[in-house]
Amino acid sequence: MVSALYLIAAALAAAFLLGLLKEQWRGAAYAVTLAALAFMIWVSAGWLWAFALEGAAPVEIFTAGAEPPFAINLRMGLAEAALTLLINLTGLLSALYLKDALSRLGRRALAVLLIAIMALCGIVLTRDVFNLFVFFELIVIATGGLVLLSDDDHALAAGFKYLIVSQVISVFLLVGIIFAYHATGTLNIDGMAGASLGLKTGGALAFFLMFIAVVAELKPFPANGWALDIYESAHPAFSAIFSAATGAAALYAVDKLLLIGGADWLPVATGIGLVTFVAANILALPQTNDRRLLGYSSIAQTGLVLAVLGQRDILGDATPYIAFGLLASHAVAKAGLYWLSGLVAGRALADWAALRNRPLLLFAFVTFICMLAGLPPFPGFYAKWELARFLAAEGRLALLALILFGALVEAGYLFRWLGYLIKREAPAAETACTPHQATAVFAAVIAGWALGFVWGDLSGRNNLLLVLPLLFALAFLLLEWLPAWTKNTLAIAGMVGWFVLTWTEYDPLRLIFAVIFLIGGAITLLASYAAHGRRIGFYPSAMLMYAGMAMLIRATDSFDFFAAWELLTVGSYFLILRGKHSEPHALSYILFSLGGAFLILAGFALAAQGAPHFDIASLGQLGQPAQPLAPWIFLLLAIGFMTKTAAIGVHIWLPGAHAEAETDVSPMVSGILLKAGLFGLFLLLMTMGRQRLYGIELTHALLWIAALTALLGNLMAIFQEDAKRLLAYSSIGQMGYALFGLALMNHLGWLMALMFVINHYIYKAMLFLSIGGVAKRTGTREMYRMGGLIRMMPLSFIPVLIGIIAVSGVPPLSGFGGRWIFYNAIMTAELRLPLVVIFLAGPIAFLYLFRLIHTIFLGQLKDEFRRVREAPFWIVLPQMIYVVLLLVFAVVPGLALRHVDAYLNRFFPEGGLGWTGPAITSSYGYWNPIAIMIVVGVIFATLLAWLLFVNRRAQKVRQFNIVFAAERPFRPETTHYAWNFFAPYRKAMGFLVQPFVTRFWETLTDLLHTAGDLARRLYDGNGQSYAFHFLAFVVAVFLLRGGV
Amino acid sequence: MQFEWMKIPYALLTLFIVVNFGMLLGAFIQKIGARVGRRHGIPVWQNHIDLIKNYGLRSSITHGTMFYLGPVFRLSGGVGLLLFVPTIHGSEMFSNLSFAGDLILALYFVFFGALGMALGAGESGHPHAAIGVTRGLSQMSMAELPFALATFSIALQYQTLSITDIVAAQQGGMLNWTLFTNPLAVAAAMLSFLGSMMRPPFDVVLAPQEIPIGPPTEYHSSYLALMQTNRALFPIAKIVIYMNLFFGGAASWPVFFFKVFLIYLWSAFVGVVFPRFRVEQSIRWFLVWAVPLGVLSILLV
Amino acid sequence: MAHLAMATGFLLILVGFYGALTNRNILRMIVAFSIADTGVNIVIVAVGYMRGRSAPILDSTVSAADALARIIDPVPQALVLTAIVIGVGVTALMLAYAYKLYEKKRSLDIAKFTELKW
Repeated sequence: MVSALYLIAAALAAAFLLGLLKEQWRGAAYAVTLAALAFMIWVSAGWLWAFALEGAAPVEIFTAGAEPPFAINLRMGLAEAALTLLINLTGLLSALYLKDALSRLGRRALAVLLIAIMALCGIVLTRDVFNLFVFFELIVIATGGLVLLSDDDHALAAGFKYLIVSQVISVFLLVGIIFAYHATGTLNIDGMAGASLGLKTGGALAFFLMFIAVVAELKPFPANGWALDIYESAHPAFSAIFSAATGAAALYAVDKLLLIGGADWLPVATGIGLVTFVAANILALPQTNDRRLLGYSSIAQTGLVLAVLGQRDILGDATPYIAFGLLASHAVAKAGLYWLSGLVAGRALADWAALRNRPLLLFAFVTFICMLAGLPPFPGFYAKWELARFLAAEGRLALLALILFGALVEAGYLFRWLGYLIKREAPAAETACTPHQATAVFAAVIAGWALGFVWGDLSGRNNLLLVLPLLFALAFLLLEWLPAWTKNTLAIAGMVGWFVLTWTEYDPLRLIFAVIFLIGGAITLLASYAAHGRRIGFYPSAMLMYAGMAMLIRATDSFDFFAAWELLTVGSYFLILRGKHSEPHALSYILFSLGGAFLILAGFALAAQGAPHFDIASLGQLGQPAQPLAPWIFLLLAIGFMTKTAAIGVHIWLPGAHAEAETDVSPMVSGILLKAGLFGLFLLLMTMGRQRLYGIELTHALLWIAALTALLGNLMAIFQEDAKRLLAYSSIGQMGYALFGLALMNHLGWLMALMFVINHYIYKAMLFLSIGGVAKRTGTREMYRMGGLIRMMPLSFIPVLIGIIAVSGVPPLSGFGGRWIFYNAIMTAELRLPLVVIFLAGPIAFLYLFRLIHTIFLGQLKDEFRRVREAPFWIVLPQMIYVVLLLVFAVVPGLALRHVDAYLNRFFPEGGLGWTGPAITSSYGYWNPIAIMIVVGVIFATLLAWLLFVNRRAQKVRQFNIVFAAERPFRPETTHYAWNFFAPYRKAMGFLVQPFVTRFWETLTDLLHTAGDLARRLYDGNGQSYAFHFLAFVVAVFLLRGGV
Repeated sequence: MQFEWMKIPYALLTLFIVVNFGMLLGAFIQKIGARVGRRHGIPVWQNHIDLIKNYGLRSSITHGTMFYLGPVFRLSGGVGLLLFVPTIHGSEMFSNLSFAGDLILALYFVFFGALGMALGAGESGHPHAAIGVTRGLSQMSMAELPFALATFSIALQYQTLSITDIVAAQQGGMLNWTLFTNPLAVAAAMLSFLGSMMRPPFDVVLAPQEIPIGPPTEYHSSYLALMQTNRALFPIAKIVIYMNLFFGGAASWPVFFFKVFLIYLWSAFVGVVFPRFRVEQSIRWFLVWAVPLGVLSILLV
Repeated sequence: MAHLAMATGFLLILVGFYGALTNRNILRMIVAFSIADTGVNIVIVAVGYMRGRSAPILDSTVSAADALARIIDPVPQALVLTAIVIGVGVTALMLAYAYKLYEKKRSLDIAKFTELKW
């Protein structure tokens, strides 16, 4: 093994060599630099290999032939090896990226770069506080030089501000060091720790000064204005080093100092880190400059790692796994993003839409954003899970809540940015990207995925990157060059194949969900044959969603469940984002979903109480410390799942997301995805059952929520002008019914919920496809613009007709079965008032359904649609399949239900249905679907035949046999009878559908934005203010800690 | 279960009796209304005459498939509703096809005709038809609510959803009727009843005399004949449910005729006294007056 | 003596900070930081001072054998040397920056360089 000292020696030697080269030998100088960096990488990689795989012991390196405290010593251990590798890699890739700039500036700039990297390695390796100071000062000087690489001339001012603050910091550091030395007689970190510095006279103050100075290098809030200016103005390749490498080194320095400070100082680190994390994320919200935004995000992430370091008292041996997971995600992603920012011409966030012309770069961006947001399968995800597990076990819930809140805010601006990228107008100019730059970016991408694999491997859980469904979904990334229909066939084959492989494993309940997720998903995919071209991005997203769902139903461990949940969320987010105008809706979807996911995470963490593996089934038998928390766990999980089913209060994402999605995506996200939330609720209620919180039975609260959801969802649906929005609101109402059934907590209630699961899948997928086909042909979703389309699109009309009969619950179709079970279920309900609300909701469905079918298909045909064609074959085909399914399910519901009915006996032995004989019986009534179908069919057919017979000579009246006149007024829709169709209803009941909830969430986000916008004015750009901020920060920490 | 084919002619017989009774009763009620207004009114056989006339009309047009299906849906709804409910208590002959389903089936089948009708009229393309339908649906959605609540209340009361069982439970004296055992539910249901009978003050949906609006305006000849048949049949079918649920049912045809007449008269009685509501007014009226009664009946049962 | 030196050192640090935070002229700020640096150096030396001992130089008057008892702690002195060198480096860098900043805006007022903010 090459001694770690060569890390420093090589850089120094190369820098020295550069001085000897001729000024003109640019190429040679550049080669020397790269060679030195490559050598350093080789050294640290060798050590990492030795420590990680061969189990080598950490090595102390003594200098000057003496041991500490008489000489400086360095240490090379696993952490050091990993960190130096990170630093050197960032250095090399940035150097590659900077090829043009460095060649222009020549050997001096190269030498400064080498010194910077060397000093960063030094910070990581050294065990001597004064040496630490020296390396920090080297960084200051190197940074002062490298900032000037930028083309932005504001960098000059930024660099100077940095120097001002670093002067103040170095005064603190030096004074602290000398007094610490005075108190302990050593400069060695381990020596100081051994001498328990804090107990000596003045030792605590000395430590405080050192600590606060080193913490300041982490750019804590609010003493970080200088860093932001550097992030904004420096060359992005340098910002990459500044964010990834400097941040990592400084964090490790703090970690070392915490050794000296001991347990007393851990809460301080956590406090500073947490405040920084939350504040920087909120401040980032109103940012429009990409690099400054990344700067805020860097600061936030560093703060988070600092907070984690401060929790080492409870994290114990898991600290490196968590801290490194977060740090590595941050470093790789941030470096990658900074490198990408160098390729984008404009500085506004929306200018990044330029990357859309380069799918590979876009993929890189998406990878980085997902890494930063801590989504699976990246290391941040595992780290987040472990962190939550420990924090919840020790009852540090406020901490957990703040971390999750900050993470949500962060996801907010990250995904908003992602939305800009994918949806905003891309500039015509090609994004230039040299091979060097591409190397840097894609090295980061590869590193990100590799780290994901490593973290999965180390997690002691299922490595997500080895799970077959996820691999299948990711494989579509490599198949993007294939035409859409090939990929579609593969996707369908994959889903059906997976179902065939696994279907024997499911119990009847899971089997129903599996059929809907996999077979149902395959049927909706038939509609995707209508798409042409390659449809880049569709299949990876869709298959990611389906993979998540396939994993969800198989998950038994809470981790697997949560990972699957996140995967399906991410997949569906990208799927929804594909809609033409879906940018804001996709954002609100992902935010609500992530918020819900965080609640689920917290719930599982609370339930596990630190146990490394927690079976979902054991939610029912919580251990002692968790038992009193059971209602809270229930609440967290229930709200988390309800964000997916769009219960009232957290429903505002749904209408836009479902309505703006593409034609074949709407049925997937509505018919199938919503069921994932219901599945979660099923599991929750199956395991935890009833819970009481402050005397309130939580299932009763669910009943109320469900009833209100059903009512308001339906009510809002009738006032929509947009057909797909109408269907979307109707889904909210339908999910309300299903939730209601679950919350009834009796046998038939659950059966009814399941009936709604099946029914809603069939008819909502069918309706969305049909309406989607109409919208595709007519180019509008405004219902009043359509009319009379029955003549043009009869095949699309049939599913809508069947669909609305089914949705409204009118016999003889399957919707009635749901209603019948519902009535039987509520016979034993404990609460009766919510029933009233549900009753009120029922008939309202007729109103919007009538509007849907009438305004689109009946009435007068519009001039512009006189030549409209029937929807494409591949969109009609699945609709016809659904029609058949619906009829079959209406006649023989027992096919699916009786097994589940028997299965439910496990939970509620009482109150099942009787399946003997042609009629299905309950203890209250009976229902004979076959007889109903026959009777209605016979009556209907007889009457129709009679009418046809007596009208056999009827003359067909054409549209213009009827006169219609008058001119087109300014707003033509106001004179259309189908516009504001249910005006009297609005007058009577409109007060119920005021957008209170929307206003609530809007106010909340506005408040956050405004807070961020006001607070960021703190950074007034004046270097003196920044220095003052630092002093204020020192005083504040001092006072808040109550002295030292 | 072996299906008894004899049920079919029995059911047809019920149908025949009820249709004729409905037409006569409808005209009779009209006449009562007219007499209150000091007019002479129509002869009681006027509906029969209209029916024959409508079938006799030779002009016959169509706007398309749904135009056909509208009246078919409508009348199927009426016939089905009648046949899914036992007409005469204790009579196997007139228990019709009630083996197919219970109270819930009847409750939901009410909407079958309304929905189909709404669709059929829509295809004529006349906006007034659609406006009439929106009014009807809006009003219906709220008017049906007290009835649904009352139904649920008595289902809870009798612990069954089978209409036959509910009627059976009310036998043995008037005081066993739901009217006396659960007056709140009956009150709520009877207010709801007003809303579904297309009589003042809730008849803006049809607005029969002064505004040519709503589905019937769109139809003529045999289509109209079908709808007219339903117009006679449907109220009776509905009243049968009310009678069975709240007024002890009927054990024989004379009792049946009498009870149906009295219940029908209730809507006529209110109708001649009160002026017409606009749609939003009637929605609010049901919400304020009828729904709380229904809620109370559920809570107190 | 040591206390006096230490007090002077801290006083200089405070003077330096005060100067750096109140003077808007960049050159004056740099001077102020130099003063603060000097203060730090004095503090370091003062910490290492021990009454009645001589400088940590091994020569004819102090032999290696009795050095431990006769000389003051040499480490702070070594640290000061390093600190001075680094201080010079940073000061030089700041001066270079000041020159560049002046070139750019023809002004040395720190409050004029606030384009980057928020």
